[in-house]
Amino acid sequence: MQSPEILLLAAGSNAALITFLLYTLAVFGIAAFSNQMLKGKSFLSEYFLGSRGLGVWAFALTFAATSASGGSFTGFPSKIYSHGWVLALWIGAYVVVPICTMGLLGKRINQVARISGSITVPDVLRDRFESARFGLMAVVLIVFFMVFNLVAQFKAGAMILKTLLSDVEIFHRAAEFFHTVMEPWSFLGTDSEYLICLLAFGIAVIIYTTYGGFHAVVWTDVMQGIVMVVGVLIMLPLAIMMVNDLAAKDDSNDATGMAYVTQEMSKLVPPVPTNAQLQVSSSSDKDRLIVAGTWIATESDNGTSRLFRTGNDVEIVAGQQVTAAEIPTEMIELVNASDIKQILDNPDIYTVVRDLQLVGLTQNPYKYGGSPEHKGTYVTGPGPSPNSDIGFLPLSLAFSFFFMWAISGAGQPSSHVRLMAFKNTDTLKKAIFTVAIYYTLIYFPLVMIFCCSRLLMPGMELESDRIMPAMAVFLTEGVGVGWLAGLLVAAPFAAVMSTVDSFLLMISSAVVRDIYQRNINPNASEAKVKKMTYAVTIIVGTAAMLGAVNPPQFLQDIIVYTGSGLAACFLAPMVFMLYWPRSNKQGCMIGMLCGFAAHFSMYLAGAFTNGSFFKPHLLMNMDPIIVGLFVSFLATYVGCLISPAPPQRLVKKYFYKRKELPKT
Amino acid sequence: MQSDSPSENDEMELYTDELDPTFVNSRREACIIFCAWLAALCWCVPYCYLNGYNVADPENIAITFGMPSWVVWGIAMPWIAADVFTVWFCFFYMKNDDLGVSPEELAASEAEGN
Repeated sequence: MQSPEILLLAAGSNAALITFLLYTLAVFGIAAFSNQMLKGKSFLSEYFLGSRGLGVWAFALTFAATSASGGSFTGFPSKIYSHGWVLALWIGAYVVVPICTMGLLGKRINQVARISGSITVPDVLRDRFESARFGLMAVVLIVFFMVFNLVAQFKAGAMILKTLLSDVEIFHRAAEFFHTVMEPWSFLGTDSEYLICLLAFGIAVIIYTTYGGFHAVVWTDVMQGIVMVVGVLIMLPLAIMMVNDLAAKDDSNDATGMAYVTQEMSKLVPPVPTNAQLQVSSSSDKDRLIVAGTWIATESDNGTSRLFRTGNDVEIVAGQQVTAAEIPTEMIELVNASDIKQILDNPDIYTVVRDLQLVGLTQNPYKYGGSPEHKGTYVTGPGPSPNSDIGFLPLSLAFSFFFMWAISGAGQPSSHVRLMAFKNTDTLKKAIFTVAIYYTLIYFPLVMIFCCSRLLMPGMELESDRIMPAMAVFLTEGVGVGWLAGLLVAAPFAAVMSTVDSFLLMISSAVVRDIYQRNINPNASEAKVKKMTYAVTIIVGTAAMLGAVNPPQFLQDIIVYTGSGLAACFLAPMVFMLYWPRSNKQGCMIGMLCGFAAHFSMYLAGAFTNGSFFKPHLLMNMDPIIVGLFVSFLATYVGCLISPAPPQRLVKKYFYKRKELPKT
Repeated sequence: MQSDSPSENDEMELYTDELDPTFVNSRREACIIFCAWLAALCWCVPYCYLNGYNVADPENIAITFGMPSWVVWGIAMPWIAADVFTVWFCFFYMKNDDLGVSPEELAASEAEGN
């Protein structure tokens, strides 16, 4: 038996497959075109920086699409679904993210990169201070963080593709064949569907990035950026239409649209996480598989229906009546009468199993929001939380996220590279405005759409990462335009792809330009550098893909760790280097190392106190990024002051006006 | 901060004693942007906390444009205000500075000239 969302996905599967194929073709077309542009230009500058010639649309959309990673279309909708309206505050810093991330450093980093002739971030640091050691330190940190991030993003891409193709017949047949072929190499993992998606996603990204370089990445980003915003703008009215249909059937509430959503959400209580074994009344001579997402209805003592949803696959083996005790079924129990009614009253959408009983049932209500004194938790702060008794977003974390998105966003090397590539100031001005409007059209509507999904698709808590594609198919099928599903589910896929290609290019540029060309073989011919670049991009991409074969469990946590870690290392040295003539290499290197150490130590402390590296210690309930940035800025400032002043020659070169040369 | 070698002195002769206007303008603009971020922080977080947390009767929460009022006045309206600020900043405040010419751009233009 399949979950209702899977059944819904089935309807849009062909559209999804066709969209994916068209999309991949378009990406390869762009790569071929970009490769043509490499001819007749300085290879490295063109391949890694697009010859500093990005116009408004290319610059704006590549910046926006790279920043909006898979998290924007998987993790963020999942959080809105799970915690409600408080996510508007969680993402609140996005009101100023475009102007902060592009405007704080943009003009100046572009100028400094032109003065020094730099084409990568380590290049800028190295040339600005004439310190090869500083450049190498930056390379090591970029490669360290980006490789982990790349593995996590590959996994995200493969998971989204798997959801996208989840009911395409040919995909399942291919997976079965692949499973047979791969049997001797079972150490590569047993989920053949995931492996096929990883291969398809990985090979596509590696080929087009390697072949087309920066221009391919930028122009695919532009296409991906358009797909994302169009997807969101189509989903919003569809979601409100579907809510209005729901409201029309509800005699107890006269409101419509978002008002209906908010009023109904204010009455909702989070589901109760539950563990139990499943039991049938009599054994069978065949194994019975109960797949994740199965709805189970039981009778309570007072005769009313209790409704559960499973979160993992379990099996009742032949001859047995109950699932194995060592693999309890993870479930949630819905407790809102409106949610239960919606599931039970729509047998055409939701299949409910009634012949199973639950034994050994244990329930752990949400630590915040699960008791009567926390009413209305989906429409107020801090929002429900299953494992924190101070809620999802306490005040201290709300402050932290304002730093995280706007300030640490300005410290990402992947953003710095783009800031080095725009054509002139006019391009920067128009691009900031374009990204501001772009983010306004994406992030706030996403909050509205997935607050609607809370009412439209109850019981998704155990697989809330799939809410975006599930909602896309639900909406398009609901209004009879199933073909649109392909476009909508392409949005999260596009978001991941645009991030992966950028990171891949950053790592290969760090290796080829900053290690090989500038330290090992400065006289390497262009042909040799070109071969080396292609080889490194393929090797790094393949290594990251192999790393994702047995992917790390904490996908979102890795992305958060690496993003905030990069900001803790790079923001302070970059700010001081660009804006303070007294800054020097010693101070900036100290700041970079101290930022890394402070940020890392919060995670290390978490490993000891909270039992996991990815549950960092929250000093005064603040995210580690605050500690990292504070320490890094302080250390850079003090480090610069206690070490010798920089050579006057460098100060003049980067901070003073050049004399006009007499015209000949 | 004095340079010691003759070549360094020659290099310094290429520059005036006047700060580079692109640097000066960028620094001033960065300060304005930082103030905008601070203003957004000081409005959004306290407003949402004071009006959206510890609500006495959440089942009858005040609604504006279909959303909780604290979301509208704490996030949605500041978002629009920030976009208006961005328009002013980008099109009426930010200077059109010369970003210079990189060595490879110079080489390319010289090659075209030849």
